[in-house]
Amino acid sequence: MRKQLIVDSTKCTGCGLCQMACAIKKKRQCEPSLARIRIWRDETRGMFIPMVCQQCENPPCAAVCLMNIITKDPVNGLTIRNLDACIACRACQVACPFEASHYDYLQEAVVNCDHCQGSPECVQYCPTGALQYAPLNAVLDNGRHNEALRRICT
Amino acid sequence: MKNIVIIGNGAAGNSAAETIRRENSEVPIIMIAQEELPVYSACALPDCLSGGVDRNRLFIKGMQDYSILGITTKFGYEIDRIDIKQRTIITDKEAIDFDRLILATGSRAIIPPVPGCNLDGNFVVKTIGDIDRIMAHKPRQVLVVGSGNIGIEVAEALQVRGCQVTIVELMDYILPRIFDEEPARQLGQILIDHGIRVLTGERVIGVSGGQRVEQATTDQRTIICDTIIWAAGVKQNVEIAQTAGVKIGKLGGIQVDSHLQTNVEGIYACGDCIESIDMLTGNPTLSLLWPNAKRQGQVAALNCLGQELEYEGAVSMVVEDICGITAVSIGMTSTALGSKDINIIEGQTHNQYWRVLVQNDLIMGMQTIGITSGLGAVMTLMKKRTTLSEFRQTITDDTLIRKTAWYLPARRLLEV
Repeated sequence: MRKQLIVDSTKCTGCGLCQMACAIKKKRQCEPSLARIRIWRDETRGMFIPMVCQQCENPPCAAVCLMNIITKDPVNGLTIRNLDACIACRACQVACPFEASHYDYLQEAVVNCDHCQGSPECVQYCPTGALQYAPLNAVLDNGRHNEALRRICT
Repeated sequence: MKNIVIIGNGAAGNSAAETIRRENSEVPIIMIAQEELPVYSACALPDCLSGGVDRNRLFIKGMQDYSILGITTKFGYEIDRIDIKQRTIITDKEAIDFDRLILATGSRAIIPPVPGCNLDGNFVVKTIGDIDRIMAHKPRQVLVVGSGNIGIEVAEALQVRGCQVTIVELMDYILPRIFDEEPARQLGQILIDHGIRVLTGERVIGVSGGQRVEQATTDQRTIICDTIIWAAGVKQNVEIAQTAGVKIGKLGGIQVDSHLQTNVEGIYACGDCIESIDMLTGNPTLSLLWPNAKRQGQVAALNCLGQELEYEGAVSMVVEDICGITAVSIGMTSTALGSKDINIIEGQTHNQYWRVLVQNDLIMGMQTIGITSGLGAVMTLMKKRTTLSEFRQTITDDTLIRKTAWYLPARRLLEV
């Protein structure tokens, strides 16, 4: 089974190492705002939720792309982009419910997570195990999975 | 199936062709089109006009991509008529037989018949040819008639090029079909602050000049200009279909059923040329947007191959970059909803504005200025028809919210 980038938000402390690791790996910049993973913070409730590309089966970003450059990789199932042809119109950024299309001002293109060729940097640096890279069925408990499916897919 | 013929080489036609080829590697696909160019992104034409995107970057495919997909291209063909009984298309070069037909003929920009509208210097922006002609004309003082998304984008693009630009809009505020009055006024102010003259509530009644356009007359003044860009609406290309006996709907687009089949068995239609239904209200609509055309192309193709699939309806989503500020409109406007029992959730900071339209506890529309975060979540709630009460209940529940974490970014926009 394909490996997925799995988020367990109950374990996230909001330390932000994943963002820093991503920005350094992808852009060689210590600038968390260049990361392709972001932590959504609700400080009053002490809730930290890392948000990252879910590699949707039918990606809404691909549906709205004006240049038709977002496709599904037939081999690894990732949502991939031909960034050379991106005109940075931001339509994909607006369409993504997971806030996972990010504008990269250095490249002048909108980017998403690509699992770092099979070894995500953010997972290696996550100190609490909130991020895991594993086949989906190995980590997720069923009730939770089904509830999420019901809410997203119906 | 003997073959599938697609008329049109735009977003819908190509999406249909690609879908057919993904599902069926054998059926011959023939694509007929007027322009002798591979498919390009029509939405990026204003960016090309401003110089932000090179002309050759507009193309989505190269000519070789068609042969890789096994599509026989008949580009540069003028269609004379379609013979439904003989199931053949008569063009100026040859007659092409079809077994199944997909109409993706698109739309064309119209120039209203005012005096002087045929003088040199009158343009529309719809095809790459239009851009080439505008560039060759070397515009300096430009009048843009109409302030839909094309009008606004072209006005800004030519302003970036160094032209002096005036926008004339017939309605009381700009972008009347996309935004409500309040956000539209704020967007108009952004344009004015960037040096574009915006005149609303005015009608252009004539154009005059010797050989070329020299001035335009509205019902209130004369405006000196050397170029007029007409962005005052489009008309569906339905004439060929209509003469062949395909039924046309009340709004002027090709009438289709929920499987995007026309009244003629085996003839499907998709894209700008059809009259589809709105996802939120269920009313007939002309969608005229790139994402809808792509989706309709897929649905028409799958039904054409015999897979029963219902079209879920069009939803409008417009993302505008107005002088570096992102303005977004998703779903309906108050005017389109008929302003009955609409609950408006509104908010403003010094550089952001948002407005969400709620009817019967359902989100029906959203308009924002200067915001990119949270919009995808609201759009998904809108499409899934999640009620506002369910949303608020989920978001306050600590266990539920972890399961649907993507609700969180929408919170700020949906709080009263």
